[in-house]
Amino acid sequence: METTQPQGWSRRAFLNGAALLATAVGLPLAAIRLDLFDPEEAPSERQRILLRTVSQIVIPATQTPGAGDVGAGDFVLLALAHGLEKSRTPLPDDAPQKLARFARKDKSLDQARWLESDLDSRANGDFLELPTDRQAALVAALDTEAYAEGVREHPWRTIKALILTGYYTSEPGGSRELRYELVPGAYVPDVPVTQQTRAYSSDWTAVDFG
Amino acid sequence: MEFDAIVVGSGITGGLAAKELTEAGLKVLMIERGRDIRHQQDYATEMKAPWEMPFRGAGDQERYAREFPVQMLNRHFTEYTQGHFVNDAQNPYAREDGTNFNWFRSYQLGGRSLTWGRQSYRWSDYDFEANKRDGHGTDWPIRYADLAPWYDKVEEFIGVSGAKEGLKQLPDGKFQPPMALNPVERHVREVMKANWPDRCLTIGRTANLTEAKGERGVCQNRSICARGCSYGAYFSTQSSTLPAAMATGRLTVITDAVVEKLDYDPATRRVTGVRYIDRKTSTRKAATARMVFLNAGAFNSVHVLLNSASEAMPNGLGNSSGVLGTHIMDHANTLSAIALMPGFEDRTSTGNRPTGVVVARYRNMDTLDGEGHTRGYSFQGGALQSTWTAGKRDPGIGIAFKEKLQKPGMWRMVLVAFADCVPRASNRLELDRRQTDADGIPQLKIAFAFGKEERAALAQAKADAGEMLTKAGGNVIMGFDEPGAGGSAIHEMGGARMGHDPATSVLNQWSQSHDIANLFVTDGAQMSSSACQNPSLTYMALTARACDAAASMLREGNI
Repeated sequence: METTQPQGWSRRAFLNGAALLATAVGLPLAAIRLDLFDPEEAPSERQRILLRTVSQIVIPATQTPGAGDVGAGDFVLLALAHGLEKSRTPLPDDAPQKLARFARKDKSLDQARWLESDLDSRANGDFLELPTDRQAALVAALDTEAYAEGVREHPWRTIKALILTGYYTSEPGGSRELRYELVPGAYVPDVPVTQQTRAYSSDWTAVDFG
Repeated sequence: MEFDAIVVGSGITGGLAAKELTEAGLKVLMIERGRDIRHQQDYATEMKAPWEMPFRGAGDQERYAREFPVQMLNRHFTEYTQGHFVNDAQNPYAREDGTNFNWFRSYQLGGRSLTWGRQSYRWSDYDFEANKRDGHGTDWPIRYADLAPWYDKVEEFIGVSGAKEGLKQLPDGKFQPPMALNPVERHVREVMKANWPDRCLTIGRTANLTEAKGERGVCQNRSICARGCSYGAYFSTQSSTLPAAMATGRLTVITDAVVEKLDYDPATRRVTGVRYIDRKTSTRKAATARMVFLNAGAFNSVHVLLNSASEAMPNGLGNSSGVLGTHIMDHANTLSAIALMPGFEDRTSTGNRPTGVVVARYRNMDTLDGEGHTRGYSFQGGALQSTWTAGKRDPGIGIAFKEKLQKPGMWRMVLVAFADCVPRASNRLELDRRQTDADGIPQLKIAFAFGKEERAALAQAKADAGEMLTKAGGNVIMGFDEPGAGGSAIHEMGGARMGHDPATSVLNQWSQSHDIANLFVTDGAQMSSSACQNPSLTYMALTARACDAAASMLREGNI
């Protein structure tokens, strides 16, 4: 199922709608600044729910919250709109129709619309209406296809990368699931790895080049 | 107000010139084109966590593509540091057809001293004799012995941590205690030593304090230096030279003031001062002094000289030789090898060491063993572990995937080559007469290309790097031998080279104009060759030496 953004939404209407939606479904409104969306490109309510759901499937809740819980879905939508992970790169002229039909005005792929369509297609209906385990299976199948041998670029890779960014740069993901130490003080070059060892989200070299 | 000296620029060399000249008793005006940034008070993002940033530290890439298309390519440019880089759209420069040159700039008080990589290496006589040896460029009018005491002085002031290795090609300095190698780096060092005794991997020599120095605290191992450091733990104008110069009571600083040209008096054959645009009032102003130090950054200092052409000097100020703007350089730079390093899965490290390692040059020293090139290359890099970002490349979702990303990832070792860049007349700066900037000043036009010598060096570097990491048990997964775009090393230099002969060089052995006795250029513009070491420490040593000479000349009435 596809939904389109109602035409003529004002920024105020979008923000009000987003606030109401957040209240209704428990989305963490404060996770991103919604005023950073161009109203013409503001995501639909369904897209926000879908990205929250998919984010939670990719990084589920364990001892720590999942990616959907911390607002990674909204972050993905914001990041896609602002070109993170090269998401505003124009599609090539010979892009397949299954992607080209989701092109934005600037010829970049509208990944959120593409994902809605892809998952609904896999679901043979409304992906959001499926049971959780069935949703997870469909996302796993999508992930397998996107990382299959020989596949270099895939819209899912962009979305998944942003889900991870949204999660591990959130306060729960960065400082509870991983460790965060802005001022380590010392550099200890050689430390044994134990069962309790967790990576640092504040290891900037690893974040940039790992 | 009359000044003894005007220093144009407040970055690494401008700040040092202001310090040295004021401490020599001179009354100095330092003019900075960018905004004021106060130490400790104006490092707006220094303590921010990713979740406090609108784009989580990655920044608004759509905006960057419009406004920072060059600066965003700098590895230090992030959402945290974007305020320390120029807006490219507002600060355009021209490129000759076919030139791909990324000019990374920081227009603010402190200039690039706030954003620099802090790697601090002495040059050796292999470097100062390179031009004479192979005939490229012009011979340096100085040798290592001329500069050694000034390296000592600068290192002791700025604070450089490093390990003494006794290498002729990378002379030891006055070091603070070194930072530590991690287990993978220690292993690779030992494998190199055992198999190639002339190759030395050592910890990076970096201007981060490992011992407190005056008001400056020790490095906290955050490795977020380019945000600004309230501990004052790395050398910057704000942490180091500006406080020293201000303490003399003889320094005046003007910010938001773009110097467009120098005034020259043909009767006395002296510069008399500078003309500048006050950005805050959009008015043109002037200041006078008994001498001028140009420290605007290599290309901008040349820009000012070219734009200061007059009837008496129609080809640019101090350009009787005709070589002003020519022979610009930047290190040819590329990722030579990255290897997965198995066998260290039970080890990790904590803290963020603000330096990597260096493998000192070993080619073309006493024996010419370069394949297709006559100069040197060295490697920088280090061993690091991956973290959650590796998950972007990997298949997987769900709890198992989350658990995998919770652990430190695979060790990998990276070697990035920096190759000596041959000085060529065809690599040059000119004024673009067809395009002006927002102040109405002709844009600087860059013509630049690497040649067969740099490509040959990087090809040999790639082969060497792969061989060394393989010998150390690594699994090399990637490596390149094509240089990045010009400017990628952020070591652009040359354009007002030093030399013996006024007919073929712009500056003499004191960084002083051959044509104009009271004009000094002591930033990267003065360089006659590039070596393969990071150049800032040498710029500083040359600056301190020139300031000492200039102050003596002034006292003795020779300026």
